[in-house]
Amino acid sequence: MSKILSKTDASGARRLRHQQQRNENIIGYVFVTPALLAFLMFIAFPFFFSLFLSLTEWNFLSGIQNLKFVGLENFRELLRDRRFGKAFFNTFTYALATVPTSILIALVLAYLLNGKVYGKKLLRLFFFIPYISSAVALSAVFKFMFREDGIINNILMSLHIVTSPVKWFTNPQLNKVPIVLLLIWTAIGYELIIYMAALQNIPKSLLEASELDGATGFRQFVHITFPLISPTTFYLVIVRLISAFKVFSAIDVMTLGSKALDNTSMVVQIYDEAFTKYNFGYASAEAVVLFAVILIITLINFWGQKKWVHY
Amino acid sequence: MKKQKIAKALLVTLIIALLGVLFMIPLVWMVLSSLKNANEVFATEFHWLPSEFRWSNYVEVWTSKDMSLVQAYLNSFFIVVFATVGQLVIAAYAAFAFAKINFKGKNFIFMLFLSSMMIPTQVTIIPRFMMFKEMGLYNKLFSIILPSWFGATAIFMLRQFFMGLPDDLMDAAKIDGAGYLRIFHTIMLPLTKPAMVSLIVLSFIASWNEYLSPMIFLTEKTKYTVAQAIRWYLLDQLSRYDLTMACATSAIVPVIILFIVCQKYFVEGIATSGLKG
Repeated sequence: MSKILSKTDASGARRLRHQQQRNENIIGYVFVTPALLAFLMFIAFPFFFSLFLSLTEWNFLSGIQNLKFVGLENFRELLRDRRFGKAFFNTFTYALATVPTSILIALVLAYLLNGKVYGKKLLRLFFFIPYISSAVALSAVFKFMFREDGIINNILMSLHIVTSPVKWFTNPQLNKVPIVLLLIWTAIGYELIIYMAALQNIPKSLLEASELDGATGFRQFVHITFPLISPTTFYLVIVRLISAFKVFSAIDVMTLGSKALDNTSMVVQIYDEAFTKYNFGYASAEAVVLFAVILIITLINFWGQKKWVHY
Repeated sequence: MKKQKIAKALLVTLIIALLGVLFMIPLVWMVLSSLKNANEVFATEFHWLPSEFRWSNYVEVWTSKDMSLVQAYLNSFFIVVFATVGQLVIAAYAAFAFAKINFKGKNFIFMLFLSSMMIPTQVTIIPRFMMFKEMGLYNKLFSIILPSWFGATAIFMLRQFFMGLPDDLMDAAKIDGAGYLRIFHTIMLPLTKPAMVSLIVLSFIASWNEYLSPMIFLTEKTKYTVAQAIRWYLLDQLSRYDLTMACATSAIVPVIILFIVCQKYFVEGIATSGLKG
């Protein structure tokens, strides 16, 4: 008798559990559906559609009936395209010029700000403001400051560093300078926040122990602090590289009115191809190249997190 | 020893302050230029201070009929509010499900969402343009708002947050017969306040400063955002440098105010979403 009872009990419990799982499934999907819909509509679908478009030759204005499937022809053409090659090269230059510099400055600043400093909050603010401010507004300011008759030349000349106004935007050797400076200036705030958080997470006991062993100041920083925050540095390099590859507003604003081919970036190129010429097929191929670059950086990130970061 | 420490702290403060001032120079120049007369901005003989403070520049920018900054401000605020609210509401539900509900395919969907972080907007913008044209959203503020309703970072951060909340909290409510919806609304959601404030600040700043999408999707002047208003002044034939800078200053001020008010939340938000991202 008791045996039978427990048996029905067990199956009842199983049924109940089954029922519960089904309920969990339903309620889980109810909660996730809005996000899933937004994801499918604004990320997944456009992404695959971009991949498809990259294999076509199509001008948006000519209508959908003129869409021609060309396979990898766009990518073959991209390899020969000197304009895109220039944009590709420039984007790398921007990334390599801005990422290490800004990270190094941010690291030193974070280290100093982490010690005994007066008015820490106010000082921090100075470095955050460029990061949170509208990139367009700041680019406009730089565009004006670096004009031939602008304040930068004024200062350089009054300090007798140069004798005649520097042509920051028209000299092909110099026209990346304002953009690079702007990108460094606006990147530091973010990196500073991340570094300061990382420094605060270092156990005090470790630093005190190293002090007892005679490691202070610079030596402590090089041998203890820096290795301990290496995951943060690695993370910042990756995040910053990715955002450097997407640079757009700074270049768009600074070249407004005087389209200089010299300092275009990949996104500027994509924008131009897509929304001034409406060559959606070719522009999509360019976008796919950008995606590939970012994908590679992300994969390095996954791989490197395991390999390069050690303490 | 103690004196030495104070001297060192003062020296470090001085070094950082000098660098900080250097960092502020472009912004100081911007504000001062916004108060000058247009010819003064690039005068051959440069002066930091305007000959007279022309606050009227701000009146002019704000009341301009050619490019209404009031309208641009309203547009930007409209976008910010609806983008932020939509993103966070949707993210909160999804994050709760990922953290506290066991449903089939959960990990797969979560990985899918995470992988979307690798896809930059710039890669999806052409199909979105076509889609919005088709849907009649082209030149509507909602073309900027809708795509931000999927926020991978927000989902990820809130999921982490929910995972940190003890299950006992939920189990007790479950025994009392509360369903997930009620548990979510009455118990879990109120607890997310600090994380939510961080996310609101981050989302506010991101959508306020957005440039590429508005440039592509909003083509009518009445639909322009504040960032586009600056662009309009840069392209304007009249070359009113003073007004351009007044417009730029106006674009930056709300973000700085928000930042100063919510500095703590903002820094925490970046630090947690950053370190765990």
